[in-house]
Amino acid sequence: MRNTTGALALGAGLLLLLPLAGLDPFLLDVLTSGFLLASYVGSWDIVGGVAGQISLGHALFFGTATYSCALLTSLAGWPFAAAAVAALLLSTGAAAVVGTMSARLKGPFIALLTLALGELAHEVMIGQTFFSPRGAYSWGGEGGVPVALPWDAPSPWAAYYGALLFLFVSAWGMRRIALSREGLIWTAISGSELTARASGVDVARHKRRAFVAAGLFAGAAGVGFAAYVGRATTTDLSLELSFQAATFAAIGGRGTIAGPVLAALILHALFQGAGVPPAARVFLYALALLLVLRFFPAGVAGALRERLRARKMISGGAIR
Amino acid sequence: MIPFAQVILDGLFTGATYALMAAGLALILGVVKVVNLSHGAFFSLGAYVAYVLSTKGVSNPAAAVLLACVIAFAFGVFLGKSFINPVRSHPFSVAVGSLGFAILFEQAAQMLWGPHPVSIGSGPPWGELSGVVVRRWGAVSLLASAGILGGLALFLSSRWGLPLKLISEEEEVAGSVGIDVEKIRVLTFGFASATAAAAGALLAPATSITPTMGRVPLILSLIVVIASGMENVLTIFLLAVGLGLLSNISAYLLAPQWSYVSLLTVISLLLLLRPAGLSATDPGRDY
Repeated sequence: MRNTTGALALGAGLLLLLPLAGLDPFLLDVLTSGFLLASYVGSWDIVGGVAGQISLGHALFFGTATYSCALLTSLAGWPFAAAAVAALLLSTGAAAVVGTMSARLKGPFIALLTLALGELAHEVMIGQTFFSPRGAYSWGGEGGVPVALPWDAPSPWAAYYGALLFLFVSAWGMRRIALSREGLIWTAISGSELTARASGVDVARHKRRAFVAAGLFAGAAGVGFAAYVGRATTTDLSLELSFQAATFAAIGGRGTIAGPVLAALILHALFQGAGVPPAARVFLYALALLLVLRFFPAGVAGALRERLRARKMISGGAIR
Repeated sequence: MIPFAQVILDGLFTGATYALMAAGLALILGVVKVVNLSHGAFFSLGAYVAYVLSTKGVSNPAAAVLLACVIAFAFGVFLGKSFINPVRSHPFSVAVGSLGFAILFEQAAQMLWGPHPVSIGSGPPWGELSGVVVRRWGAVSLLASAGILGGLALFLSSRWGLPLKLISEEEEVAGSVGIDVEKIRVLTFGFASATAAAAGALLAPATSITPTMGRVPLILSLIVVIASGMENVLTIFLLAVGLGLLSNISAYLLAPQWSYVSLLTVISLLLLLRPAGLSATDPGRDY
């Protein structure tokens, strides 16, 4: 841990400096959405990496939050802050439901169930239209629902620093949870459910808790995204978004929180910053995922760490 | 207004064709022992092959099915040999990787043929019986998939199918009596992928062809496989026909996207009611 602190501080310093160094608005936007995406991917890692449950429907929690923000502010006329709190509660509740439903399932069947539930929410939202209270037009379907925000046009600087702060705080929180006693139990479940049960762990309850924690952080990222983009669309619930979470986590190294967060941030910034169109981007992510799963089952970061460790052992240095 | 009997008949034809692909997925589950999420992509691949052939003026379903099968077999052998087999014992890699392959194909199809639905002409109907039209694709699909499924059932019960059954039930024994387990696994994966492509090519005239069209039959096949297992081809056939009817009727009574919604609901309920799943997917360790 200690030897990565310097690198993390350097990265944080660079990210804090970039807008001041005259970064153009397009790249500022890419990084802002990248921070939110990275936080979302980190939340996947709680349930998918640390707790080892193959969740393929993580967008459900993210989209629940964005749609709650949009529907509660635009249709019900709630203030944004109240809608944000409700969105967090709803996404956490959705995670509790999914966690309860998948508590008795194993391995690939959790993947199937979460995939089906995510797709279910996606299809229902595609088919749903809402009548705007201002009349004349309707919302919903592929175009999504707007979020009524308390500000007119957010300053890109404020959004950038807000999202960056959110990423720091949420990543720190998720890492703390992953290293806590509860996180240790999740790791044990991930290693072997049978062994965990034999040591007296109530596996179903702790699995559900992992889903709830992940759903809370995914919901927070969703609220941030709704506040930044100002619209909830069906992309927020799509299988592609769920898949991206698992992909970035696999590339960055599952179960480390920091690895998935960094992989999401770097890959997103690289591909979107270079102007690769969405379809080609998802194509490249899928390709990268297959190569990583095939050749580096522990993720790229995991493979590098192993190599580093091996070198230290040869040179007789301290092993950390 | 389409008469209800027409919906039933078309649902029957569609379901019978889905049975072909579900049988392929069941073989993968039984012999390769993985839950394969890339199966739907091969269905879309078959449909796009039929579409490209029809734009070139070839509208013979047999040509489309053959070409689709050959292409899908090649891709299936590649995927089975280079990805699925090496990562078989990691449930995460199998689930996310096979979904990754499906998404890879979806995005490739979107870049090649565009995100918008395309369709091919379904040709003149074969006959009409008191207002109910027997469509050409329907009759062809039913006969073709019944033929292939019958052949598969015969193969599995003959002595040639014995290695597959042995691998599915007693893997170690199969290895020790000199069966090349890995080779049979790869060939099974290729063959199963070909069945999905055949179903896609057969059903291409019946549906609008989109990059994500494979998700509906994937979920349908997964339901069939979870509920029935690999052993009985007849059960697979009946279940697929039932689900095909369900999806067609819900599309008819509500709206087209409800066929997907109803299948997703069925699989969620099935997983809730049958949490133990299938022992066949357990490659000898707990997850």
